[in-house]
Amino acid sequence: MSDETKLKDPLSLKIIPWVSIIGFFLLWELLVRTGLVPHVLLASPSEVGRLFIDKLTNPHPDGSLLMTHAAISLAEALLGYGLALLIGIPLGLLMGWFVVAEGLARPLFEMIRPIPPVAWIPLAIFWFGIGLTGKVFIIWACAVVPCVINAYTGVRMSNPTLIQMARTYGASDWQIFMKICVPSALPMVFGGLQIALALAWTTLVAAELIAADAGLGFLITMGRRLLRPDMIVLGMLMVGLTGYIIGVIIDRIERKLTAGLERGGVSS
Amino acid sequence: MSSLVESREGALVEDKMPTMDTHRGFVIKLLHNKRFLYLISIVGFLLLWEWAALYTSYAEYMPTPWEVLKELVRVTQKKLAGKDLWGHMWASIRRVLIGFALGSAIGVPLGLLMALSRHINALVKPVFDLFKPMPPISWISLSILWFGIGEQSKIFIIVIGALVPALINSYNGIRLVDPGLYDAIRMLGANRRQQLIHVTLPAGFPALFAGLQIALSVAWGCVLAAELVGARSGLGFMIILGMNTSRPALIVGGMVVIAITAFLITYTLSKVENVVCPWKVELPQ
Repeated sequence: MSDETKLKDPLSLKIIPWVSIIGFFLLWELLVRTGLVPHVLLASPSEVGRLFIDKLTNPHPDGSLLMTHAAISLAEALLGYGLALLIGIPLGLLMGWFVVAEGLARPLFEMIRPIPPVAWIPLAIFWFGIGLTGKVFIIWACAVVPCVINAYTGVRMSNPTLIQMARTYGASDWQIFMKICVPSALPMVFGGLQIALALAWTTLVAAELIAADAGLGFLITMGRRLLRPDMIVLGMLMVGLTGYIIGVIIDRIERKLTAGLERGGVSS
Repeated sequence: MSSLVESREGALVEDKMPTMDTHRGFVIKLLHNKRFLYLISIVGFLLLWEWAALYTSYAEYMPTPWEVLKELVRVTQKKLAGKDLWGHMWASIRRVLIGFALGSAIGVPLGLLMALSRHINALVKPVFDLFKPMPPISWISLSILWFGIGEQSKIFIIVIGALVPALINSYNGIRLVDPGLYDAIRMLGANRRQQLIHVTLPAGFPALFAGLQIALSVAWGCVLAAELVGARSGLGFMIILGMNTSRPALIVGGMVVIAITAFLITYTLSKVENVVCPWKVELPQ
């Protein structure tokens, strides 16, 4: 009896997800086809698919190809994100170990920290306009916060026994920082990278919704202005898909780097 | 001057330069005093800001700290699009509270059901995973199309924003309960209902509550984004008004109020957390 249920259970659990996904799309398609949901409010999946293929080659009606929008958004996000990593991670690491760094940087950081990322948008547009610089600034301002917090916490959580041992052997402050604190902070730093990325991507979309002349967020806004729900849904799907892909890539890099770290720890 | 200082690890170690003259020793001591460093940092920041706002080429775009303060006081007295500062603040908070309540009322039970029943999980998770990577803010256009630019469209976005972390955390919180606890209570002869009440819910609650905290701060971000896109009231409207009418003092002032509100929300919730789940232990990373 128990064997039977064991065999039966996984099969139904394997089928249900597919039923669920296919059912979801069918229901969506049907709702729009039958006119239960008016056509101006929602586009059917087939329309979105058709538009997706069309937008690969046709810049009309919003001025750019789909790939151009995606490339522009990606460039803005990655540039701001890269700058946030370059500044945030070393700053967080230093703050975690050196009293002077923490004393000087902490109050400023605590002032910036509670500001929700989207609240930077008006100031950034006011300062830098709607071009690349403004977007990069917004992304930087929001992505730098999780980088600093995680690097800081990572250093703080490094094993005190290791630090005391290094001290006993006469290691200098700097040596302890480089050899013990930084490596033990690495997993936390990567956690921060994931959070920062999700935040950067969300904020970028918000920024593009408010002011932009290209990018995936702009595609969504144009869809609303032109009353084209298929454009809106396509934009949303592209945003979700791109964010998902970047997340997977970071996950891969993390696994590679921290795996190396563990090996190094074991062999030494 | 004592020749022993407390090191970071709390052990007493010998001061590196006991023979130096007292002047140098005093400076080093100051550099290790956090309060003094905090003070330098804040004063230095304000001075730098003041200087940048007065003498650099950005002066036109940059209000001085003093101007920001004056602007904030002014907004509490004079009405801005029919509401003073408190009115706008309440408009934002009201939206957040409604959206957060709806979002967690949907997200938490759904997350619990998904964690407790594999069939419901198999049914809901694929569709949820499809929506999860889309930032809540990207729903704005669709939401405006569906509900117009009134209250409903803003609340809809907040509901979506709050639902995701509420659901994920209640789901994971229940799923990651230490199996040893179940073994223990089962050995004591508990039935399924008792397991649920005495193990599953209390052990999953801290993660669930953490999800609510995240949901609330996401909701706060969402309401601002929604108000930036199209609104007649709220703090987000206030800063976008500052942008459109070229009043940098209003933008920065609005950001200060937004930051303070966000801080108060987080602070209150962490206090509430201590009261509602005192058994919380730090989750393993």
